[in-house]
Amino acid sequence: MNAQTITQYYRKNRKAIVTASSGLLYGGGWSLGHFTGFDTASAGILILAAIIGGYDIAKTAYYEVTNRTLGIKTLVTLAAIGAIVIGEYWEAAAVVFLFSLGSYLEGRTMRKTRTALQELLEMTPDTATIRRDGDLQEVPARDVEEGEVVIVKPGGKIPVDGSVVDGESAVNQAPVTGESAPVHKADGDEVYAGTVNQEGALEVRTTGAGSDTTLERIIRRVEEAQEAQSPTESLIDRFAKYYTPAVIVLAIGAYAVTQNAILSLTLLVIGCPGALVIGPPVSIVSAIGNAARSGVLMKGGEHLERAGKIDLVAFDKTGTLTKGETTVADVEGFGVDDDEVISLAATAEKKSEHHLADAIVDAARDRPTAATDGGTAIAHSDAASAEHRSVPDPDDFDVVAGKGVVAHTDGHEVVVGNRALLDDRSIDIPDHIAEYVRGREERGETVVHVVRDGSIIGVIAMRDELREAAPGVVAALQDAGIETVMLTGDNERTASAVAGEVGIDEYRAELLPEDKQTVIEEYQADGHVVAMVGDGINDAPSLATADVGIAMGAAGTDTAIETADMALMADDLERIPYAVALSKATRWNVLENVGLAVLTVTVLLAGVLTSYVTLAAGMLVHEASVLLVILNGMRLLRH
Amino acid sequence: MAVRVLRRTVMNETTQLRVMDFDCPTCASTVERALSNVDGVQNVEVHYTTGRVEIEYDDDVADPDAFAQAIENQGYTPQPA
Repeated sequence: MNAQTITQYYRKNRKAIVTASSGLLYGGGWSLGHFTGFDTASAGILILAAIIGGYDIAKTAYYEVTNRTLGIKTLVTLAAIGAIVIGEYWEAAAVVFLFSLGSYLEGRTMRKTRTALQELLEMTPDTATIRRDGDLQEVPARDVEEGEVVIVKPGGKIPVDGSVVDGESAVNQAPVTGESAPVHKADGDEVYAGTVNQEGALEVRTTGAGSDTTLERIIRRVEEAQEAQSPTESLIDRFAKYYTPAVIVLAIGAYAVTQNAILSLTLLVIGCPGALVIGPPVSIVSAIGNAARSGVLMKGGEHLERAGKIDLVAFDKTGTLTKGETTVADVEGFGVDDDEVISLAATAEKKSEHHLADAIVDAARDRPTAATDGGTAIAHSDAASAEHRSVPDPDDFDVVAGKGVVAHTDGHEVVVGNRALLDDRSIDIPDHIAEYVRGREERGETVVHVVRDGSIIGVIAMRDELREAAPGVVAALQDAGIETVMLTGDNERTASAVAGEVGIDEYRAELLPEDKQTVIEEYQADGHVVAMVGDGINDAPSLATADVGIAMGAAGTDTAIETADMALMADDLERIPYAVALSKATRWNVLENVGLAVLTVTVLLAGVLTSYVTLAAGMLVHEASVLLVILNGMRLLRH
Repeated sequence: MAVRVLRRTVMNETTQLRVMDFDCPTCASTVERALSNVDGVQNVEVHYTTGRVEIEYDDDVADPDAFAQAIENQGYTPQPA
């Protein structure tokens, strides 16, 4: 080992070496005095222990004083110097050693919470195999340019964000989305840097590399969230600013009254606000880190503290409780052919962007072309293929928000919509049609009527399958004592059928998008702390209104993350009971830590005033309480 | 030292370092103050919870090696972010 490596070793392990030396000297000095009576030698060694252990502390204390931020190290330095001045060498050495040991352990434990996220980043490989200038090259992953094709071997980690251009495989996306099951990827699908390609080789066209990947962006956001102070934290911080000077004043006052130097120095030591200041941030950082590893992005301590009070969860129906893939379940013509009903509806809905419209147009295209009626000629446009029927454009069309569309085609007026739209236009619904519609709605389907020139020619029933996890998630929330509500634009009967299937407590039907916001406000006015779960784009206003907005499937979309307080990276409903439970556990954990800190200081103060506790004992208990709150907070990493 | 450097404005550069061994919130504030006293440093943020150190500095004046030194002087170990 040469001089340079020794210096490096020392610099890297300075704290441990200093603490150990101070501890050894302290032990030696104490034994010498206790067993042999060489008091002068003992005193010298104890002072040396205090100086070696205290040098770094005093240096920081000096900075604290010159920067006018009185902190714990100022108090410890004052106490140690004071103890030496009054001849209590053993106390001085003990205080310094115990404090160094405590800080060393605290630094080491905190490192664990700080590295929780780094593990995620290390998932990204350093190099990428790319096709450049016609042959394969291995380059640093961050140097891959947008648009370049990266080759990922089976079993290899994906080095960049991009879309699959060749190959097919299952990819484990756990580092980004927290999903444990691999996701199937083929041509055109998006893949994320840091995820693991499990089966086949993939060729990926790069959309982002280096620091411009989804994983990096998520981690940056998580860190920002961890750094943002929660209301409890800032309250304590403001308190701590006045607390330390107050402790010094108290110590001086105590000395003036009692003339007891040990008592006033002990006050300095136990007055350190350690556990109180450290507890809440550790709880929150651990919880946010844990959530991030499970694919839940928490926006910050403030949101987490609020989420701990949730007692009602409102779910948007479409795309949240259901898969959001509406398909046509049945077409029924009344007096006309089924094919004609769907074709006409598809033409009317073609320009609409509503999810029901998409389902109708898709269904019309997928119908066998053999049944083509006279009205719809097969156009030789790019949309038409051998098996797909083309859907002609309407002459004009109008959307009636929340109700349907009115369009004109081939000289006919076509209305496609719900009962409300038909009522508005005074269109009668014959009993046998109403009967049929009721039957479909009782099965949880959404029905639209197709009207040509004022009379109903048929109805289309559509279905959006429930997510398999939905009933279990609702049950888990109910078990945790949380009310559940479903919000939907569907009519009463459909909503009731779906609510029954999911087992949800309550539902609100026939809501226009802006009504959802009002409903949430009503629940809040009743004293509920409301979480709203939605897709984050269509539901942005209600997510913002809710006390806690939870967006689903946010990995790809920044908008969802902006508006929400919590974002689920995957469309994984099962994360919701987990996130709610974690928030509640965090809230308790913060309270426990604050309680423990206050209790420790109170007991110590009583001990000091009754002369049971002196410097060393006070420092021991104080450091123990700090370690205890850190360890308690870190339990949330494994929640 | 491999430090990630992002160009923000024409004059100022920002860099990130990581300190994993902060042992108390005040220690982070002390390092923050020490860094802001380094010549050419415009803005510093030091986060106790994550150990992240963000420094915005004037490229013509400040010497990035001095940042690590300033942190070491306070008794902490800087690492590349």
